[in-house]
Amino acid sequence: MSGALDLGLRAQAAAVASGELDPGELLDAALARIEARNPALNAVVETFPERSREMLAAAPDGPLNGVPVVIKDEWPLPWRAQRFGAAELTVPTAPGESGPYRALRDAGATIVGVGNMHELGAGSTGAVSYYGAAHNPWDTERCPGGSSSGPAAAVAGRLVAGAVGADGLGSVRFPAAYCGLTGLKPTFGRAAMEGHHMAPLTTMIVSGPLCADAADCRLLGSVLYGEELAVGDPSGLRIGVVRSEVSEDVAPEVRAACEAAIEALRAETGGELREIELPDLETAALAGILIINSESMSGTTPQQLNRLSPELSPIARGTLKYRMLLPAVATAQAQRVRTLMRRRLAALFAEVDVIAWPTVPAPSPPLEAPVVELPSGAIGADQANARSAALANLTGIPAISMPVGLSEDGLPIALQLQAAWGADELLLDAAEALEQANGRRWVESRPPLADASPAEA
Amino acid sequence: VADGTAPADEFIPAGLAALGIEADEVDLAVMAAVHGLLWPPLQELLALDTEDVDPERCPDLSKAPSA
Repeated sequence: MSGALDLGLRAQAAAVASGELDPGELLDAALARIEARNPALNAVVETFPERSREMLAAAPDGPLNGVPVVIKDEWPLPWRAQRFGAAELTVPTAPGESGPYRALRDAGATIVGVGNMHELGAGSTGAVSYYGAAHNPWDTERCPGGSSSGPAAAVAGRLVAGAVGADGLGSVRFPAAYCGLTGLKPTFGRAAMEGHHMAPLTTMIVSGPLCADAADCRLLGSVLYGEELAVGDPSGLRIGVVRSEVSEDVAPEVRAACEAAIEALRAETGGELREIELPDLETAALAGILIINSESMSGTTPQQLNRLSPELSPIARGTLKYRMLLPAVATAQAQRVRTLMRRRLAALFAEVDVIAWPTVPAPSPPLEAPVVELPSGAIGADQANARSAALANLTGIPAISMPVGLSEDGLPIALQLQAAWGADELLLDAAEALEQANGRRWVESRPPLADASPAEA
Repeated sequence: VADGTAPADEFIPAGLAALGIEADEVDLAVMAAVHGLLWPPLQELLALDTEDVDPERCPDLSKAPSA
């Protein structure tokens, strides 16, 4: 039965639907595999077999009937409040039916565990967490990416075939990139968000699927969106390339793999490449940071910051206090930058269908020292990564990360595509086209840990 | 400041004192590091000419801007 866990999400769903797979046995196999592999990954921070069995017993005949999934520690469940990867939050949380929980339940899925995450969602590496760092299945000494570190490590390690993350500044796309998965950041407002502790305030965060390939993301995404993400035809795809983003200050092997992938996508779709200009990307990234900061710190008092739990990491404690000092005029300016970038993108998307650049400028760094080597020198991974991802959250557009190669060290390399508001389906179509173009080589690549012998699995 | 940074040893203690936030040496070290990363680009952000940008009121981020 454990071999069924090596199937993709839609294959598991189809096998359960056809009666080929017994969902109770599949759940038991998932729990057994978590027990076997999770010590090396720390991807799943809590399981609740009785709750999972209750979900399975009550599961409706939906598109994920009987399929085990993991959900990030960012979403409340009826039996568990989210911890947000932290010893303490400055906002109240409580158990409850979050939007993603309801969507999964109504689709017949079985939530088998809660996925680890970077503390307070404030990092692209997954190296810091109340639960201890999650580990990358491609190299357990490496960062799995964050903040949806556990969901990504769980899928890449084949503990489950699909997981729900959240993306406020790249938190689905970074771990997808580092773990060799496909991760979708939906258009703002399209995916289930109810119950998130920042849902009433955020203009940045969305829930999103992490799976092995685009078709599985389409399936899990359709569940989260509450509507079918229909298959379309990406023929004639107009691919916008911001040359500086693809070729400047990007690790050479990442640049090479992404340039090859962009050309393969063009050829597969019979499309065209267009060089485009999109200035002020670094400023846009900071604007995103300022806006999510103001939203997440809303309601936080100095008195709360004077009573922070000693179990919070020193980085979180110091950063929270610094964030309180950021000038309001900068956040107001960030809103102008948001408008500026939205208008620029609206104009660009009249000329191109997607914009392509690397999801991250270098492969996963070591957990011990999350620093990446770029042509300009060594730089902290968080600093290096923010520039590539924040634009989509700042402006509301959808984005997808997909694997397009392996580094010399055997670590995944990823390409990001971004499209106009509401064109989430096009991103999935384009990702599937690229998979076809490269013979599904990268989406079917498996990390060493996922190739453990059956006895270990 | 000539290099475009506001000295952490002035900005941070002043801000903390104004808000009544306590910080130990570790907090201050972290804050100084974050300040070093954020402050220079923040100044660039503030210097960006957005006079002609009329911010969207309550933008619908699920859609393209209306104008």
